[in-house]
Amino acid sequence: MRVPLSWLREYVEIELSPEALAERLTLLGMEVQAIEHRGADWRRIVVGELVTVEPHPQSDHLLITTVRTGPGEPLLTILTGASNVAPGQHVPVAVPGAVLPGGRRIEVTRMAGRESQGMLCSGDELGLTSDAEGILILPLETPVGAPLVDLYGDAVLDVDVKPNRGDALSLLGLAREVAAVTGAQVRWPEIALSESGTPTAEHVAVEVTDAGLCPRFVARYVDELDVGPSPLLVQARLSAAGVRPVSNVVDASNYVMLELGKPTHTFDAAAIAEGRIIVRLARPGERLETLDHVVRELTADTLLIADPRGPLGLAGVMGGAASEVRDATTAIVIESAVFDPVSIRRTARRYALRSEASLRFEKGQEPRLARIGADRVAQLVAQWAGGRVAPGRIDTAPVEPAPRRLPFRPARVVRLLGAPIDAAEMRALLARVEVETAPAQPGDAVRVAADMPSVVLDAEAAREALVAIVPTHRRDLEIEADLAEEVARVRGYDRIPGRLPETPMPEYRPDPRRAVDAVRDALAGRGLDEVVTHALIGPHDHERLGIAADDPGTIRVTNPISAEHSQLRRSLLPGLLRVLVENERQRRVDVALFEVGHVHDLAAGEPREQPMLGLLLAGDQAGAAWNQPPRPADLWEARGLVDALCSRLGVPLPEATVPAEIPPYAHPGRTAQLRVSGPDGQALDLGRVFEPHPRYLEAVGARSPHVAVALVSLTALQAALPRARRYVPFPRVPAVERDLAIVIGAGRSAGDVERVVRDAAAPLLRGLRLFDVYRGAPLGPDERSLAFRLTLQAADRTLTDEEIDAAVAQVVDALATRLGARIRS
Amino acid sequence: MDLETISARLAALEEAGLAAIRGAADPDALEAVQVAYLGRRGELKTLLGGIGALPAEHRPQVGAIGNRVRETLEAALQVRRAELDAAALEARLAHEAVDVTLPGRPFRRGSLHPLIETNREIARIFGQFGFVVYEGPEVETDVRNFQALNIPPDHPARDLWDTLYTDVPGYLLRTHTSPGQIHVMQQTAPPIRALLPGRCFRYEAVDASHGFEFFQVEGLMVDEGTTMADLRGLLDAFTHAMFGGGRPTRFRPGYYPFTEPSVAFDVQCVVCDGLGCASCKRTGWMTILGAGMVHPVVLRNGGLDPERYQGFAFGLGTDRIAILRYGIDDIRIFLENDLRFLEQF
Ligand SMILES: [Zn+2]
Repeated sequence: MRVPLSWLREYVEIELSPEALAERLTLLGMEVQAIEHRGADWRRIVVGELVTVEPHPQSDHLLITTVRTGPGEPLLTILTGASNVAPGQHVPVAVPGAVLPGGRRIEVTRMAGRESQGMLCSGDELGLTSDAEGILILPLETPVGAPLVDLYGDAVLDVDVKPNRGDALSLLGLAREVAAVTGAQVRWPEIALSESGTPTAEHVAVEVTDAGLCPRFVARYVDELDVGPSPLLVQARLSAAGVRPVSNVVDASNYVMLELGKPTHTFDAAAIAEGRIIVRLARPGERLETLDHVVRELTADTLLIADPRGPLGLAGVMGGAASEVRDATTAIVIESAVFDPVSIRRTARRYALRSEASLRFEKGQEPRLARIGADRVAQLVAQWAGGRVAPGRIDTAPVEPAPRRLPFRPARVVRLLGAPIDAAEMRALLARVEVETAPAQPGDAVRVAADMPSVVLDAEAAREALVAIVPTHRRDLEIEADLAEEVARVRGYDRIPGRLPETPMPEYRPDPRRAVDAVRDALAGRGLDEVVTHALIGPHDHERLGIAADDPGTIRVTNPISAEHSQLRRSLLPGLLRVLVENERQRRVDVALFEVGHVHDLAAGEPREQPMLGLLLAGDQAGAAWNQPPRPADLWEARGLVDALCSRLGVPLPEATVPAEIPPYAHPGRTAQLRVSGPDGQALDLGRVFEPHPRYLEAVGARSPHVAVALVSLTALQAALPRARRYVPFPRVPAVERDLAIVIGAGRSAGDVERVVRDAAAPLLRGLRLFDVYRGAPLGPDERSLAFRLTLQAADRTLTDEEIDAAVAQVVDALATRLGARIRS
Repeated sequence: MDLETISARLAALEEAGLAAIRGAADPDALEAVQVAYLGRRGELKTLLGGIGALPAEHRPQVGAIGNRVRETLEAALQVRRAELDAAALEARLAHEAVDVTLPGRPFRRGSLHPLIETNREIARIFGQFGFVVYEGPEVETDVRNFQALNIPPDHPARDLWDTLYTDVPGYLLRTHTSPGQIHVMQQTAPPIRALLPGRCFRYEAVDASHGFEFFQVEGLMVDEGTTMADLRGLLDAFTHAMFGGGRPTRFRPGYYPFTEPSVAFDVQCVVCDGLGCASCKRTGWMTILGAGMVHPVVLRNGGLDPERYQGFAFGLGTDRIAILRYGIDDIRIFLENDLRFLEQF
């Protein structure tokens, strides 16, 4: 809320500087987010008196004026296009060298052949009023020559009023906060009406069909009024507060909204059929043209202000165009009502019409303000538009609730705050925010939470307890803890001393992120850079993975920021590739990245999220240097990293197989499925390593021809972690190495060979390493020779040559029978 | 041959041998000298082979001279060999010399993302005070994200969080880590000291200090006697650990529907040290987190009796802490993943 200090001073004495006041309010919980010094940008703008006003001989739309800007100052000749000027008026003058808001410089210029020594300003040019047509005519008592900033400059505080303090969305409410800080008295505006003519009830009737949606409706009637501009001071105040001045009647309503926090509405009385106002829900098919001249189809749960003919306005949100107060209006009906906050909030959101009024209504309204607001608007309209206020009000609920009694236990306040504050101090603190206190009685009930049974005080507890008498404007004070906050707030939060807890410690709990952090540390240690990409990606990203935009397994955002970020990622791949592409644009083509993050989908209709590790390698992995050849990223680089990661974590090395189905984004001949066995021997699907399909790389705009990716399920990896690391004694007897060059034909893989060798040599095999792969003569065209080094060892003895030969023969046999492989010698 | 002749020959042989040893220019030549003089068919053997022609009484004498000559030559050989070895090694080393200013073999350095590392640092600091880590889902129910936190549907406080909703009925993208409070209270009994780091989402226009995805760490401490003073003490300790000791902090009222009293926690601006600058909007303070005493309704929704239990909760913006920690002026850089940025961590 924007608070012009000159206006705030009407309701409370302020001796602090704007900056000091801002700090005090901030420390009280009314955070001042900015201080605007209005007029600070009016440089060399002074009050001038028009001496002569003559038509321009060469131009129909220009006037030549002479202006006095002070005793002894030479008269300035200034041309203007405005037509509302006359000799003797006082007007704002921008003299040569002046700068207007927005930075516009005023110099001596020539217009239609005549020199103009400055400019006469409109209210709009100065940001004082909304009139951009005419020159701003200042009151005659305005001293000629005075800088305008001295007269109309102001400090405007931008106060962030929290949603629970609707009462402070008003100058009066903030005046109360100032008073709580400074101890000054709050001055209510004097609301006194002189009523005349026929009683209101003869002009207006009000019927509320659902008192739940409209607990109170107060109406007043003013006639014989003259719609026109408001006094300059009023326009300046409204402008400073960020509300555009419209006319004296509408301004009166807005003025009261800002002053008291009470939104009201004014209807042209002539537009209300039979003078009958009906507050009801909309009927199917009804339409209303609102003040913004949009014709709206009304839905059935929209609360309306209507007359017997149809809707007049959206209750609490926006009036209708047909009943708007116009220049020709001579009589008005003032509506000052209380509506159901939820209904107003829903209506405002449904029609995307959130107004200053609806913002206040949806926070709840103090019932008595309905009466006070109606009177205040009537008073101001009579004052500014010269109207005649009809005697009496229409009021659907004239009985106003009394202050709420809120018993509380000072000991509990102390227990919550951890600061020693005695009951007497609490009473004094609460009194500063108009909360009186009284001793509690046995049977008084303390509300701990709004929707819980209260704690009833017995005689002993009542002796230690107090009752807060909460003024009706403090709708936010509902439970005991609210009073604790109020005590702490007025006393100053900063006076709560810090201390370290002495309460019991919780039980040990293993850090769920430990394994993930170990993965991150291991990969960063291997030289990979960790990235964090968006969880929200676009339908195109998914389509390129072969997931249709409307795939039922995808979770979509119904109100996305943009289509590009409208779906929850089902894979880390698009994000990783985007990082590659962005870095390639910066000519960083050799990258090694990883990301740890969640992927999302729907499983049996419920959202499911799974932690994943993605790593992406592109370009040279060796690091180009004078002394080493480049090593382009490939499938095996990625696989090696996954192997290294697994062995670092104590997980068995994963086994690679050719997947049954290759996803469309992967190279059909360079995709491996990884499987790993868990501590209970269960087979876990660890994920995939692959080189992306060239078409996929092209589609995402990656330029590197050498890209490799691993997508690893962290759930599987965690499941594969050993429960405990146990030392396994290693044999102290010598090991023997035997090399075998195994020739396999088409359709056989290295994985097949490895499996068979491991099987056949099982009890004695301690190590198996593929050290060479050969194709070509003298092998057949489909044949490959895989050279493996077998390390053989028994746990307890040195193997004899016979044992070794037998083991090797067994391997060779198995290879021959199971894979049709032969040994190349 | 007589004794004199043979003695003279031995002396000549010794002299010639020593000269040959000195003249051997490399290990091979030295080897040849050794063979020529001391070998099985070498000169010394040959000369001493004539010893049988001497009278018996002279033989021991000649034998002694012969042994001395052998020892002398062997000693000289050894010295010369060492000399040649040293020279050869020196030559090799000279040959092996390189330009030592050539750069070392490049190893990729690797890096850890500053946001996640900041989360880890936050957890490490609070871990020292007994806080343990829990995790909650990114896709939350409206019930846990709002309703259980004392924010009913259509509550005006919902405006504090511009929410991204999903097409799964009842689910949204969590707007804060606070639903974790409910998860923890439902999972474990007091005393509770919990931290919940995680990714959050808001419908928010992206600028230098806002993103629609960001990271938070929720803290929750509940038992029978945790007070606002404990909250202050821990937040001060955290601030000093994260930003250096002695930096002033400020405790002021805030508003959250799920805490009462609610707190905004400010740290003296780390850019200007409180003098006032653009980063702190000339106030000298930066708000780093929101906090407060857990609202009784939230305790009850977590299954705890608010008459018995009380405690505090706080929500730290990881991005904000990371910005201050590393002196970053635009949070968008965190998710851009430019290597020139990542390589600095
Ligand atoms: Zn600063």
